Amino acid sequence: MKHVQLKIAAITAALLCLSSTAFATEVSFENDDSLPIVHLNVAIKTGSVSDPVDALGLTNFMGEMLLRGTNLHTKDQIDEMIDQMGAQLAVETRSEALIIRGAVLASQLDPFLSLLQELITQSNFPDDEIKKLKSEVISQILEEDSSDQKLAGLKFSEFLFEGHPFGKPILGKIKTVEKFKRDRIATHYHKLVSDNLLLVVGSGDAKEAKIDAWAQALGKLLPHGNPDLARVPVPVTPNEKRLLLVDKPGRTQTQLTGGQVGVKMTDPDFFPLYVGNHAFGGGSFSARMMDQIRVKRGWSYGAYSYFKFSREPRSWQFYLFPAAKDTPDALAYTLKMIQDVHDKGITKEEFNFAQQSLVNSSGFLYNTSAKRVENKLNERTLGLPDGFMKSYGSRISQVELSQVNEALKTFLLPDRLSIVVLATAKDMKAKIAKAAGIREDQIKVVPYNQE
Amino acid sequence: MTKSLPALLACLLFSACTSSPKVSEPGAKITSSETKPLVGAFEVQRTVLSNGLKILVLEDHSSPTFAYQTWVNVGSRDEVMGKTGLAHLFEHLMFKATTNHPEGEFDRILESAGVEDENAFTSWDYTAYIQELPKDKLDLIAKLESDRMVHLAVNDQSFKTEREVVQNERRFRNENSPDGMIFQDLYELAFTRHPYHWPIIGYEKDLASMTSQDARDFYRAYYSPNHATIVVVGDVSNDDVVKTIQKYYGGIAAQNSPVHAILEEPAQTKVRRKVLPLSIQIEKLTMAYHMPGIADPDVPALMVLDSVLTGGRSSRLQRALVETGIASSIETSPMEQKDPTLFIFECNLQRDRKAVRAENVILHELSKLAHQLVSEAELQRAKHRAEFSFYQRLDSAGEKANFLGRYETMTGNFETGLEIEKKMMTVTPQQLQAVVQKYFSPRTRTVVTGVIK
Repeated sequence: MKHVQLKIAAITAALLCLSSTAFATEVSFENDDSLPIVHLNVAIKTGSVSDPVDALGLTNFMGEMLLRGTNLHTKDQIDEMIDQMGAQLAVETRSEALIIRGAVLASQLDPFLSLLQELITQSNFPDDEIKKLKSEVISQILEEDSSDQKLAGLKFSEFLFEGHPFGKPILGKIKTVEKFKRDRIATHYHKLVSDNLLLVVGSGDAKEAKIDAWAQALGKLLPHGNPDLARVPVPVTPNEKRLLLVDKPGRTQTQLTGGQVGVKMTDPDFFPLYVGNHAFGGGSFSARMMDQIRVKRGWSYGAYSYFKFSREPRSWQFYLFPAAKDTPDALAYTLKMIQDVHDKGITKEEFNFAQQSLVNSSGFLYNTSAKRVENKLNERTLGLPDGFMKSYGSRISQVELSQVNEALKTFLLPDRLSIVVLATAKDMKAKIAKAAGIREDQIKVVPYNQE
Repeated sequence: MTKSLPALLACLLFSACTSSPKVSEPGAKITSSETKPLVGAFEVQRTVLSNGLKILVLEDHSSPTFAYQTWVNVGSRDEVMGKTGLAHLFEHLMFKATTNHPEGEFDRILESAGVEDENAFTSWDYTAYIQELPKDKLDLIAKLESDRMVHLAVNDQSFKTEREVVQNERRFRNENSPDGMIFQDLYELAFTRHPYHWPIIGYEKDLASMTSQDARDFYRAYYSPNHATIVVVGDVSNDDVVKTIQKYYGGIAAQNSPVHAILEEPAQTKVRRKVLPLSIQIEKLTMAYHMPGIADPDVPALMVLDSVLTGGRSSRLQRALVETGIASSIETSPMEQKDPTLFIFECNLQRDRKAVRAENVILHELSKLAHQLVSEAELQRAKHRAEFSFYQRLDSAGEKANFLGRYETMTGNFETGLEIEKKMMTVTPQQLQAVVQKYFSPRTRTVVTGVIK
């Protein structure tokens, strides 16, 4: 494969119709009868940020339990019903949303909607299923350690957002998951699954009116909840440059990621920063990071920088994965590039190219019904105005070079970056300390399998 | 000095193409044109030019964009020992300079035009170059893609830098990835003679000894219109696409195909096994049985078997392994490849569970399927899941193009993919039992276990 692609997680709604009135469930559905299938997402507009501090992973666990038994059907029966319909149902937990992702053959939509309503309103959290799910989730947590890329990402979030809800692992920790009990799960369910946090978004071979009627009926079966559950404090970038070395034996390649607290998509500086980041590390082969790290030096298969978003500023981070032998040079050079772009900004040529590329490709943010559905989901769960993603092209075309460079200078904090290096620590610590400009005794080293 | 590819292939190449110029014909003519249904209202126009280039066009005007994919009939299957990884490394080099465009310009022009999902991938049997673009960029992409089909200029410096990138990709996908290491060992054990033995990304020692001349020879041998299919899906008209492609590719001559004598894999007669100590915290089991290539009539029943085993929440192995607390995940994959290939089981164990236990459960379930017919209800559920998966695979312009290009390249016509889907819906319990009995003898499995180091 030529390269790994990293994308922003959002798009927009051209044809979607949104209905939202007081106490009415938010619904948007786009008819698309090109294939005989229907995609339907039922979201609760708060996610892992709602986990109690002593019960990390509870939101995800509760969401998974919704598919594991109701007052009317056992898990085995539910599984057979789903398969009989040619359907898929899965739970996705994000920081700011719990999403039940469903898809079904159009001919089976009626029984699917009936089952989905039952799962959301009549879950009974059977003890034997709680026991089984605990074992599965704990194994998934352990499995995450086997992927260097995934592990480095998790460690970076924890390191940057130490103590903040954004640093919480979605699956939780082994020690918290082991303690989950039925009462705690049911209490969390009653707190989160409510009409005013409910959102239904989908597309496919079905009538919008039918989905809307179903969603409104679903909302009426749920209690009112607390919309403040989605709120989190604004995270703060640590005051100094820090480096965490995650020690994993036998690595011939290093995972190198670092960054700082990011920016909200509704911030006035967002679009200038978006253009600036695209020129710096936005995944394009013409971006500085890719050009200097991969194309010119061959140090890493990929070299990127990107934003992660939430309802509050989340993160801006860089990522590359050089051979162990090239790691100190690659780290030093990346930090130098960040300092340079902070001090001098991007050039006129880089700006023109980034702006033109982004404007010309902006139509791809909403060119399929699946993308428009995803946009609506993101707009609603990230607190963005309707049609935000569709405005990308025109907003980017209005950005000026001076705005980009001023925003980069204000936003980037080269002296306060949090850096995670996943590598075999032996022989690496002193070299990366020097490369990062941090005293060796200030570098924290943790074994890769330490929770 | 490493020998170049043609020298190494001397005994394998029927008609090597080392120096014939690629541009020779003034303009290729249309030799055939036909319309075939895909699904629903979608139809595909297939046109073949006299230089051998195939063009598949699916008009879909739901968005002012189109997917453009170039499928080349070459993959790691066409390599030889000592030059493993060349097809994939060459895929990377296709983004370097041509005689008309300096290095980097191909990407810059496309990015500036608003390209989406620009990428490429190499498989055992094919290599594909993919893009999505705004509707008014058809002429641009045809011009650029045809240029690099004939005018690529690989020099030593760009070769060395890109080889370093590929070596890093290898560290990423294989050396530092438990699943990557397990897969490499699985194929090495299961295939003793056939080229599926080696990893697509190649062996480090082969990559290290490769030269830019190897790349140039590979280019001459495999990159020509008669080895390629261009698939265009989206807001285009068939006539425009064919005219545009004729304009840019029509002057590129067909080249003699290297006849590579692919060695047939002898039947496996006993269990092959390897244990890999890895930096992991749960054990991993990967197991495979030999199955036929994609065009074989048994493939539809094997696809349904895949669905019966792991296709849904109520599938057999989901219940026997995950619901019982032995595994946290189980997947099966009947590989779709040109030549006889593998039906693979991948299982992540739960904490403190041993891979051998999962292996025994899988053997037991296969034995049950060999001796007892599945019920009509279970078969129906499996077919529903398979039908849903089929539609999911056609859910966007890029995915439709991928479906068309893959089957067209592997079997000569994309209708094979539709036939498989159609036949899956008519598979009987008896046919399912027959393929289990035929392909899943416990003696012929290959097992690679990842254990905690």
